[in-house]
Amino acid sequence: MALLEVRDLKVHYPIRGGILNRVIGHVKAVDGVSFEIEEGKTYGLVGESGSGKSTTGKAIIGLEPVTAGKIFFNGKDITSMKSKTKDIRRNIQMIFQDPYSSLNPRKRVLDIIAEPLRNFENLTKKEEKMRVYELLELVGMSPESIWKYPHQFSGGQRQRIGVARAVALKPKLIIADEPVSALDVSVQAQVLNFMRDIQKELGLTYLFISHDLGVVKHMCDEIAIMYRGRYVEQGTRDDIFENPQHIYTKRLLAAIPDINPRNRDEQFAFRQEVQKEYEEAYDEYFDEEGLAYSLKNISDTHRVALPEKG
Amino acid sequence: MEVKDMQLESQTTSAESPSGLRILWRELVRDKLALVSLIFLIVITVFVFGISLILDQDEIVKVDLFAINEPPSEEFWLGTDYGGRDVFGQLIIGTRNSLSIGFMVTLFSGIIGVVFGLVSGYFGGHIDNVMMRILDFFMVLPFIMIVIVFVSLVPSYNTFTFSLIMTAFLWMGIARLIRSKALQEKELDYAKASRTLGSSHISIIFKQVLPNIVSLIIVTMTLNLASNIGLESGLSFLGFGLPEDTPSLGTLLSYATNPQTLEHRWWIWMPAAVLILVLMLCVRNVGEALRRATDARQRRG
Amino acid sequence: MITFPQIVLLSILIFIMAQFMPGDALTGQVDPNVPPEIKAEIRERLGLNKPWYEQYADWVGGALQGDFGQSFRFKMPVSELIGQRIVNTFWLSLATLILTYLIGIPLGIISGRYNDTWLDQAITGYTYLGFATPLFIFALVMLWVFGYQLGWFPTSGSVAPGMSPGSWDYVLSKLQHLLLPSLSMALIGTVGTVQYLRSEIVDTKQRDFIITARAKGASESRVYNRHIFRNSVLPIAAFIGWEITGLISGTIFIEKIFGYPGMGALFLESILMRDYSVVTALVLLFGIAAILGALLSDIILSIVDPRIRIK
Repeated sequence: MALLEVRDLKVHYPIRGGILNRVIGHVKAVDGVSFEIEEGKTYGLVGESGSGKSTTGKAIIGLEPVTAGKIFFNGKDITSMKSKTKDIRRNIQMIFQDPYSSLNPRKRVLDIIAEPLRNFENLTKKEEKMRVYELLELVGMSPESIWKYPHQFSGGQRQRIGVARAVALKPKLIIADEPVSALDVSVQAQVLNFMRDIQKELGLTYLFISHDLGVVKHMCDEIAIMYRGRYVEQGTRDDIFENPQHIYTKRLLAAIPDINPRNRDEQFAFRQEVQKEYEEAYDEYFDEEGLAYSLKNISDTHRVALPEKG
Repeated sequence: MEVKDMQLESQTTSAESPSGLRILWRELVRDKLALVSLIFLIVITVFVFGISLILDQDEIVKVDLFAINEPPSEEFWLGTDYGGRDVFGQLIIGTRNSLSIGFMVTLFSGIIGVVFGLVSGYFGGHIDNVMMRILDFFMVLPFIMIVIVFVSLVPSYNTFTFSLIMTAFLWMGIARLIRSKALQEKELDYAKASRTLGSSHISIIFKQVLPNIVSLIIVTMTLNLASNIGLESGLSFLGFGLPEDTPSLGTLLSYATNPQTLEHRWWIWMPAAVLILVLMLCVRNVGEALRRATDARQRRG
Repeated sequence: MITFPQIVLLSILIFIMAQFMPGDALTGQVDPNVPPEIKAEIRERLGLNKPWYEQYADWVGGALQGDFGQSFRFKMPVSELIGQRIVNTFWLSLATLILTYLIGIPLGIISGRYNDTWLDQAITGYTYLGFATPLFIFALVMLWVFGYQLGWFPTSGSVAPGMSPGSWDYVLSKLQHLLLPSLSMALIGTVGTVQYLRSEIVDTKQRDFIITARAKGASESRVYNRHIFRNSVLPIAAFIGWEITGLISGTIFIEKIFGYPGMGALFLESILMRDYSVVTALVLLFGIAAILGALLSDIILSIVDPRIRIK
């Protein structure tokens, strides 16, 4: 049984307008998304901004309202807010994109990391402090950080504090919403590696949301590509990187920068070619509204949004 | 030993905290006009509350028909009023009463306004809609008239109940301000993070969001204090403040509605007028300095 | 459209307050020596024994037809009494509004256009003081200085006694009586307008479209007349409705201080004399005026500023 199962998830927002402020339409931020994550694995959700990848993550944890569909955690239906019992809430945690706004500027690191502990565990002040020390050590920060305020740290350090807070309750699933995209490139790899170390150490499962295929390749076992609220392609890392089927996936892959300067011209030509193919084949891969079709199985692990043939 | 070290550490590093209060204080001290105003306010407050401990209020407000409308003398520094009551004593007690009511109204309306604004802004949606309609209604009520009617209907009241009547119609301004701030704050990730960490709405509102708007609250309440002192003395001036045996600064000014007093006995009403003005200006100076300090901090990030 | 429910709510609030006022519609009309049985009969006839909601309906129905009951002090219908006073308060308010804009707009424009000059600093100093000064203290000082010490203006009333209405002298005397009270109110009331205009203009000056207009070679006066004026001055037209709330509390103080026989003075007298039918009528009328004023401002604002729409 998968740790997390999402079935046909939809998150729609009403658009209001007109004189009486009536609902005149819907924005379909997430429009029928299904996937499963096995325990201990990392599942990557990739797409450009506005593709609905963050909304998917926030809907699972309950920060966005679910319009339709089901979410199961360990086989239990946790779709509605009410069904998210205390036990389930402590087992699903989140790492936020912006380490500058996700830590309360008026709180000390002690209060920030201890917030989940205070909500779920009855610890004495001393025990609580010991736990915070342990967590700081786990994320590689010095014990005196405990008395400092977020503005006294760099972005990478802040994100470590965010991770310490997310793992404080020893959760099973962590939703990481673009955890490194607000950081300097030099710090990104550092934080990513340390996230992987922690995953091994604590046996975590990640839902890793990112717009950066390079980062996802580094982190994820399974990957899904989203476009305008729908899945375009889903498969193992090899399926996506070695055998991309959808034109949109190919275009994203072509856009990954290559470090080797000798290949620059080659890369450029290749990108041009893919872009040309994308423009020509666009109508073939997307329906008349410009949305992806429903997924078809290509192999046991690999599913692609292709039109019905014939 | 270890615990002690940590406490020490907490003290040394908390100096760098962005807790706002410390920075506000630093900026306030740097602003000469505001600092002078603050010192002046403290001196007046201590003086007035100190002296009124010695002064016998009953003695001062007792009518003495043998000493009516006397000009300033050694016995009565600022003369006496139409009931032979010592004006200087009334000035001291009046300042104390005006300040007390000003503080109380500011505090009560601040509490109601902050809670109302935080709840309305944080929850948003339908709750916010309904609460804002209620607020709009209170906003357009003719405040002075309604308070006057209330005061004339309530059979007996004291400083405390009078403050409550005023508070009932004075919490809207700060509520509206706090609400718009809460609307912004709740969209920030730290508030959302608290949701995912299992904190309740109440705890997020008061433990997470509230500390982030403390400086705004302080600034607003300081500026409100100035206008509340003015409002109270205005109501007393009209004769609908405290009863005459509990003088306020406005009571002394109300003697000036007698043309004789206004024209010929300036010592009865002028000191009170000057004192109200000075008090309001000083409080405003402090408030404006605090506002500039918070604005500057927001610009710096 | 929140106006209608607001007025209904206001009327309910006033009705409830009226229930707490001692005496009822009967008190002013009947000789106290009338035997209780007959009083009871009259009560029944006047509908004072009906349930509260029927009484409320009667009261609202009456008010809609302009019937606010009897003033027991003046022994005349409240509507007639208010009719006598409303003219004075109307002129006072109108004079105040005109002066408010006459003072506020030039000062605001000067202060904004030449910001950080000594002229601007003088105006800013005035607004700072004006904000901190309670209206009633300022008015008292004005009366003391210009009415008593210098003797330039009359110190009480709305017109000199013995003038016949319609004559030129009558109008002049009215104006003379109006000037000091309305000027006192305007000088304090206008500081908000001045401050708003100043910060608007200072803001607008740095906006891109103004810089563009300058860059295109528009003359400085054209920039001010066409662009800045339209963006900064027109919105204050919308303040006119909100000013009404300020005028209401203002007239209460001003009419008392200057002995001016208007609705504000009538309100204070009626409260002191416990003439509650007059009090309820006045609170209702002033309240409705404030609500309609807010509506007026919203409408003007939505015309002037297309970004804002009426909810």
